[in-house]
Amino acid sequence: MPDRAAGWRPLLTVPELDLPAGASLGIEGGSGAGKTTLLHILAGIATPRAGRVAWGETDLAALPAPARDAWRRRHVGMVFQDFHLVEGLSSLANVLLPALFGRTRASAAERAAAMALLDRLGVRGDVADVAALSRGERQRVALARALLFRPPVLIADEPTASLDAEAGATVGDLLVGLAAETGATLLVASHDRALLGRLQWQLRIVGNCLVTP
Amino acid sequence: MMNPWPVARAALRRRPWTSAALALLVALAVGLGVAVGAVERAVRQGSIGAVAGFDLVVGAPGSPTQLVLASVFLRPEAVPLLAGETLARLMAEPGIRWASPIGFGDSWRGHPIVGVTEAFVTRGGRWTLAEGQPFGAPFEAVVGAAVPLATGAEFEPGHGHSSADEAPRGHDHTDYTVVGRLPPQGNAWDRAILVPIESVWELHGLGEGHGGDETRLGPPWIAPPGVPAVVVAPTGIADAYRLRSQYRSGTSVAVFPAEVLVPLLRALGDVRGLVAGMAWGGFALVLAAVFLALSANFLARRRDFAVLRAIGAPPGFIAGAAWLEAAAILGAGVATGLPLGWALGVGAGMLAGGSLDLSVVAAPAWEDLLAPAAALLVGLLAAALPALAMGRRTVETDLRR
Repeated sequence: MPDRAAGWRPLLTVPELDLPAGASLGIEGGSGAGKTTLLHILAGIATPRAGRVAWGETDLAALPAPARDAWRRRHVGMVFQDFHLVEGLSSLANVLLPALFGRTRASAAERAAAMALLDRLGVRGDVADVAALSRGERQRVALARALLFRPPVLIADEPTASLDAEAGATVGDLLVGLAAETGATLLVASHDRALLGRLQWQLRIVGNCLVTP
Repeated sequence: MMNPWPVARAALRRRPWTSAALALLVALAVGLGVAVGAVERAVRQGSIGAVAGFDLVVGAPGSPTQLVLASVFLRPEAVPLLAGETLARLMAEPGIRWASPIGFGDSWRGHPIVGVTEAFVTRGGRWTLAEGQPFGAPFEAVVGAAVPLATGAEFEPGHGHSSADEAPRGHDHTDYTVVGRLPPQGNAWDRAILVPIESVWELHGLGEGHGGDETRLGPPWIAPPGVPAVVVAPTGIADAYRLRSQYRSGTSVAVFPAEVLVPLLRALGDVRGLVAGMAWGGFALVLAAVFLALSANFLARRRDFAVLRAIGAPPGFIAGAAWLEAAAILGAGVATGLPLGWALGVGAGMLAGGSLDLSVVAAPAWEDLLAPAAALLVGLLAAALPALAMGRRTVETDLRR
C-alpha cells in the first residue's frame, strides 16, 4: 500500500495460496489487516505489486484493467457488507441489473432465474423500492444479484457484519448453501466465527502474513 | 449494447424535488429566451399588420411619426390640420385608387368617432363588412369589431376623447345609428367608430363640405374644412412615390407609414438581439450551475458507481447512467421551457400591445425551436464531460470510501 515515508509498504505477503475449484475459504483478520485488499486482488478490482493471481489458466495480475473487468463480469459474483443495491429500483430489477450491463433488457430466462432465486432466498420480487426492505432482506437481494449468472466464484466481504445475529445467520446459511448448490468457489472475509466455521478452509491475516489458524 | 436507464431513472426518483427543481431552472432559462423571440416577432407582425392598408398618409407639415401615430394608431395628440384646399387638391389627383380624410373630435364611451369616407370603410371596395353595410347617409356609423354596439343601435357622441367628457356637454341631440360592423383587424381601428366625415364637420359647425347639399356623402367637396390626415391608396408604386414627393412641401407632409416603422422595428430588432443574448447567456449560466450541482451529486455517489463497476458494469455503463440522468433533467427542462416561453410571450405581448391597441399575438413558430434545440445539443454534449469522468474513476479507491 502507498506509504509517505517509504513509497510503498507491504501490506500483505501471500507466498502461495492454492484453492481447488468449488472450495470455500474464510479469511479472518483485524480491521485494516488487508482482508478487503486481498479480496479486491482476487476479484481483479486491484492488482498486486508483484506476483501472480491465477484463476484456472487466467493470470489476472497480468491483464489490463478492461480485461480484468470483463473477466470479473463473467466469473465473479460479489456481495458487500452494506449490500449496495440501487435504491429506487425494485428487488427484481436489482437482481436483473447485471443483465443490463451488456444488453438493453433482461431475457425471459433471466427473469425466471431471478424470480426463482428471490423465491429461494425468501424475498418478494415485486417490492417497488429495495429501500423499503429490512437489512437482512436487502442482503438476500444482493446475494441473488451476485448469483444471477451462476458465477464460478463468489466473493463476499463481511456479508453479515451489518446484520443482527438472526438475519446474519440466515444470510450465512444461504450464502454457504447456494455456493455449494451452484458449485461456486466461495471466498468470504469476515469476523463472524459462526459463518467462518462453516467454510472448508480458514486463513487468518496476522501481521503481513496469511496463516492457518 | 447496454441499458443504464434504470439506474438513471432510480436516481431521479430518489430525489424527485431536486431533479424537478433543476429541470425548472432550465425551463425558466429556456422560457425567457423563447419569450423574447416570440414577443419581438409578434410586435413586428402586429405593427406591420397595423400599417397594412395605409399606403400613404398626408398631413399638415410636422412630425411624420406623429402623423403615423395619429392615423394608423389613432393617437391624435394635437395634430396640426391639413388645409382644406390641399385636401381638395389631393382628392382630385390622378393615380389614386381611393383616398379618405381622417377626422377626429368625438368619442362614445372612450371609443373614438372617426370621420372617413365610404372608400376607407371598404378599402376601396376590397373589404367586406362582418355585418350590415357601409354608411350611406349622414349620421350612420360603422363600428369596429371591439365596439360594444349592435347593428341598428343608436348612440349619442360626446365631445373629446375621454369618456368623462360625455353627454352633458355634448352637441345638440344628434344620434348616430349603427349600420355595419367591421371584421377584427388586430389594431387600434377595432375600437373606432367610423362615421361620414361630413357628419363630423357638421357636428362641429364646419358645414358639410358640399355647399348646402346635406345628404350627399363623399368627395368632391366644396371648400372643405381642414383635416388631421388623409389616407391615400395610390394606384401603383410610381404614383405612390410621385404623390409622396409632391406633397412634401411647405403646406403638407407625406409619408409611407412603413418608412416610419422600419427604423422602429430595426431598433426593436437590435433590442431583441441584446435581450435574447442576455437570455441565452443566462441559460448558459443556469446550465453551468445545473452541471455543478449534478457533478457534486455524482461525486457524492461515487461509491455506488464503484459498486456497479465491481459487480461488472463497464465504464460506459456508469458514464451512460450519469449522462442519461443529466440528459433527462435537461430534456425535461427544455421541453417545459418551450410552452412556458410561449405562455410568457403571450402575456408579455398583451402588455406590449395594450398601449397601442395593437394585437400582439405571440404565436408559436418553428424558429422558436432553433435556439432551445441548439442549447439542448450543447447541454447534452457538455453533460458528457462529468459523465465520462465518472466512468473513468478508479474502482478500488471509490469502493473503499
